[in-house]
Amino acid sequence: MIARRLALYALTAWVAITVNFLLPRMMPGNPVQTLIGKLQGQVTSQEIRAIRLSFGMGIHQGLFAQYFTYLGQLFRGNLGVSITLGAPVSAILHESVPWTVGLIGLSTLISFALGTLLGAMLGWTRGSRFDALIPTATFFQAIPYFFLGTVMLLIFGSNLHWFPVLGAYSQNVTPGWNWTFIANVIRYGELPLISIVLSSVAGWMLGMRNMMITMVGEDFVLMAVAKGLPRRKVIMHAARNAVLPSIANLSLAIGLVVSGALLVELVFNYPGVGDLLLQAVMNEDYPLIQGIFLVITLTVLAANLIADVVYLALDPRTRTEAAV
Amino acid sequence: MSALERSDESPQVDALAAPVGPAEKEAPSPFVLDVHDFSVDYGVGTQMVTAVRDVNFSLQRSKVLGVAGESGSGKSTLVYAITRLLRAPGVIRSGSAILRVALPDGHGVEEFDLVQADERTLRRVRWSHVSVVLQSALNALNPVLRIRREFDEVLKTHRASMTKTQRRERSVELLRMVGLSEDRLDRFPHELSGGQRQRVMIALALALDPDLVIMDEPTTALDVVTQREIINELNDLRSRFGFAMIFITHDLSLLVELADDIVVMYAGAIVERASALELYDAPRHPYTLGLLNSFPPLHGARQELTGIPGSPPDLAQLPAGCSFSTRCPFVMERCRRESPTLISLDDDHRQVACWLHEPGASATVPVELSQRRRAATSDSDLATAESK
Repeated sequence: MIARRLALYALTAWVAITVNFLLPRMMPGNPVQTLIGKLQGQVTSQEIRAIRLSFGMGIHQGLFAQYFTYLGQLFRGNLGVSITLGAPVSAILHESVPWTVGLIGLSTLISFALGTLLGAMLGWTRGSRFDALIPTATFFQAIPYFFLGTVMLLIFGSNLHWFPVLGAYSQNVTPGWNWTFIANVIRYGELPLISIVLSSVAGWMLGMRNMMITMVGEDFVLMAVAKGLPRRKVIMHAARNAVLPSIANLSLAIGLVVSGALLVELVFNYPGVGDLLLQAVMNEDYPLIQGIFLVITLTVLAANLIADVVYLALDPRTRTEAAV
Repeated sequence: MSALERSDESPQVDALAAPVGPAEKEAPSPFVLDVHDFSVDYGVGTQMVTAVRDVNFSLQRSKVLGVAGESGSGKSTLVYAITRLLRAPGVIRSGSAILRVALPDGHGVEEFDLVQADERTLRRVRWSHVSVVLQSALNALNPVLRIRREFDEVLKTHRASMTKTQRRERSVELLRMVGLSEDRLDRFPHELSGGQRQRVMIALALALDPDLVIMDEPTTALDVVTQREIINELNDLRSRFGFAMIFITHDLSLLVELADDIVVMYAGAIVERASALELYDAPRHPYTLGLLNSFPPLHGARQELTGIPGSPPDLAQLPAGCSFSTRCPFVMERCRRESPTLISLDDDHRQVACWLHEPGASATVPVELSQRRRAATSDSDLATAESK
């Protein structure tokens, strides 16, 4: 059963890669000329060759042969050369993906954990004064992120100087696996992280709260009370089931971690994939766009695969349903 | 879990548990449960309806009390309120429910007023002394937990001294008791049949050797054959372990097989109380008669099913006088004005709330309610019927 799913994912990945290969080659006109024109002669012949290569031109190969060359390069991690940055796309991605995954991934997990915990509590104590949390959290989610982020940056960064601003780390430290640098990165990441959590926690919270309210009305929760279990265990009976839809949503959110952080990266000048993609699109840097899309696609697939496996482990009912 | 919550062994908890009175010196009461003037409301203020009104009953040790009535008669509300499992907006307005459990050393009993009991006392009483089986075992078992975990959890909470191996052995023993094999322990609820699930629930309910088991329509969701098997098993288990049982159902003919006494509820009040056979053979309340005519008898000749005309009353707008008056085939002028109370009939300590049976009343009791419906079902009749 797991094997069947894996096969399905492999097929999807193959389709994505193939589309990624075909798209630039199906572009109408001569994008290479457009690009070279755009760069106004400030290109070396090496760059022109890179551009032509990425559009499948200047190579005297059939489409199929090109396709297999492409696959072979991909397999070796060769995503071509960026037109505007002049560096291999894989190296550029290697630079920016960790920042995005680190910041957005961590924020998503923290937001999920916090929202789920709060939601479980709100669902259990429905109608208590804790319900005031709901409009508060919804308020922060309702504000456009760009505005929220900017205001937080201005107040807590520029004016109060509680948090360092701009960039992922200070100019005074040298990147490396040492504590000084890591501590600095954490310090710089705090404000963006708080702003993301603040703007996204309401979704997790409300989802969990509503499921929790449904679960509290279920017979097995009544039975947990009838069994004389301590309150903590009764709540766990409900929460264990209520969390299942949130897990599914978490997988979707994680899949989007690599791509969905443009606003955060713009506001906080964070060197992530979102910012990179924006630059690539504005400069029509096709190899880079292609590379980023490929990474996004594969991440989404991987996240879905993980979610499937986790869901199977958490909900035994899906095991039989899928087997039937 | 703190030491305080482990109530079974710690001596100071007895003082906290608020026993109603010193019970050691008296002779042990034969009653495991005494419910007195019990009323339950749903909601408050103008929205309030009374779902259970002034109910009194007692249940003897190892006996089975059947509670019968249509949907909305308050039968489930009554037992959920007694066990303090009633959910909002249900509120116990008045009354007491005294639970008497035998002390483990065999000397005397300990009393709890379940209505007054605090959370800690309730946790101590629950499952150890009072367990519950619900109608739908599929919903009553947590869908994401293996059956093993359900047993483990109960034993861990209430029998902290048991080792893992002992818990496993006890679980297997319990499953065997209800005719299930050991391998069911590693199944999930959805992998079992309806009958198996309900057997698991019954095994779980008996895990701690309770004094009282509450069964809320445990067989309603099952097919007739499985129903019969489970009823037989319950009878068997009860004679082996001696727990008392409150069995809620709308199926009176089922109760006759299982119950010692039956109370019939209508619109939140008890309208008739009798021993099971007497109630079955000679109902005294028109509603009981209607209920009996709604189900085919398990034994005996075929007869037409007539049912009860109309539908259960809206609790917010009960008719003046007797609440059954709008549906009663024998309704009299007085029924529409005055509400009858439970009165004892001369024969056999049975009680009925109906003006027809008022002593010295001028009303003539209809023939259906004054004699036996058929020749008394003697033991030999039952035996021949079973063997067929």
